[in-house]
Amino acid sequence: MMNLGFTIGVLGVLILSHAAYSTIQYRGLLKIVEEEFSGPPMNVVLELLVGLVLCLWAALSVPGKFISIHPDSDDNRIVSLPDNLDFMIFNHRGKVLQPDTGMKLKC
Amino acid sequence: MVGAAEEAQLARLENQVDNGGGGAWEYLSLVRKLKVRRSDKVFKHGLSILNDHKQRSGLGGEEWTLYEQVAVAAMDCQCLDVAKDCIKALRKQFPESKRIGRLEAMFLEAKGLWADAEKAYSSLLEDNPLDQVIHKRRVAMAKDQGNFSVAIERLNKYLEIFMADQDAWRELAEIYVSLQLYKQAAFCYEELILSQPTVPLYHLAYADVLYTLGGLENYQLAKKYYASTIDLTGGKNTRALYGICLCSIAIGQLTKGRNKEDKDSFELQSLASTALEKEYKKRASDKLPLLAATLRNLKLQP
Repeated sequence: MMNLGFTIGVLGVLILSHAAYSTIQYRGLLKIVEEEFSGPPMNVVLELLVGLVLCLWAALSVPGKFISIHPDSDDNRIVSLPDNLDFMIFNHRGKVLQPDTGMKLKC
Repeated sequence: MVGAAEEAQLARLENQVDNGGGGAWEYLSLVRKLKVRRSDKVFKHGLSILNDHKQRSGLGGEEWTLYEQVAVAAMDCQCLDVAKDCIKALRKQFPESKRIGRLEAMFLEAKGLWADAEKAYSSLLEDNPLDQVIHKRRVAMAKDQGNFSVAIERLNKYLEIFMADQDAWRELAEIYVSLQLYKQAAFCYEELILSQPTVPLYHLAYADVLYTLGGLENYQLAKKYYASTIDLTGGKNTRALYGICLCSIAIGQLTKGRNKEDKDSFELQSLASTALEKEYKKRASDKLPLLAATLRNLKLQP
C-alpha cells in the first residue's frame, strides 16, 4: 500500500513537471508566432488536474492513518483517571494480604 | 488519563505477563505511563526482572527507574525488606539524590514511624521548600493517620501555591466527599471542569455530587452534567445514563404537576433508558430482566 502510494506520488510529480515543461515550450512557441499568452492549452490544464489529484491522493495515503479527533472515539475516550499515586497511602488492608513473602532482591 | 484503547492494551499485557508470555518490561512501562496502581503485579514482575542479571543490565539507565518503581510497589505491599534493599541499591548509585531521600522518608511512612517521616520530610523541605511531591506526601501522611482536618488544611495551603495541580484538586474533592462536605467538593470539581473541560469523568463526578446534594436546582444542573458526560463519551458511560434517569425522576417528584418542560424531560429519560437497555442487551444479556425491573420501579415511584 505504502509503495503503491509512493509510486503514484512520484508519477504525480512527474506529470506536474511535464505540464510545467509543456507550458514553457508553448510560451516559446507563442513568442515565435508573436501572439499574446492568455493561458495554457487545454491538454496542459488536463494534465495539471490529473497531476494534482495523484499528488493529493499520495499525500493523504502515504504518511499514515488519520487520528480521530472525536472525544468519544476509542483513542480519545477517557475511561478512568490515573490513581493518585502522589497521595498513595500504605496503611491499608494490603498489610494482611502480603504477596509471596519469599521473594527477595538478590544483589 | 487512561483512554479506552490504552486500557485495553493494559489488560492485554497484564494477561500476557501473568500467563508467562513475556513483555514484563513493556507492562511495567505502561503501568508507569498510565499511573495505575498495580503494586502486587509490579512487585512480582519487577522483582523478577531485577533479579535476572542479564535482563537488568539490558535496561541500561532505565534500571534505576525500575528500582524506584519496585521500591514503591514493595512498600505498598508491605514487603519492607525488599523496599529497603531497593532503596539501598539506589542510594549506592546516587548518594546525593533528593529523590531517594524522598523514598527513604516514604519508607519510614510505610513502617508507620510518622514522627520520623515527618522529620525527614521537613528537612527535605528546608532544602527545597517548593517540592510538590513532598508537600503531597505530607498531605497523604495526615490522611493516613486519619487526621482529615490537617490534610485539608495542608492541601488548601498547597493549592494556594500550585493552583494548576489537578491531581491535588481531585484529591481534595475526594477527601471532601468522604467527609460528606459536598458543597466544598462541588467547588473542587468545578475547578477541575474549568481547567479540563473535555474530561467526562470530572463532569460525571460533579453531577454525582450535585445529585447527592439534592434540591430542584441541583437536580437540574446534575442532569445537565450527566448529559454532557454522555455527549463526551458518546453514550458509553453507563453511570451517566443511570444518572439521567434518576435525575429526571427526582425532578418529576419535586415538581409534580406544575412542570413546563415535562415532555422534554420525559423524552430524555426514555432515551436514556433505551440506551441502557441496548447496552445491557449487548454486554450482559442475563442482567436484562434486572434492569427492566429497576426501570419499571423507578417509573412507578412518582
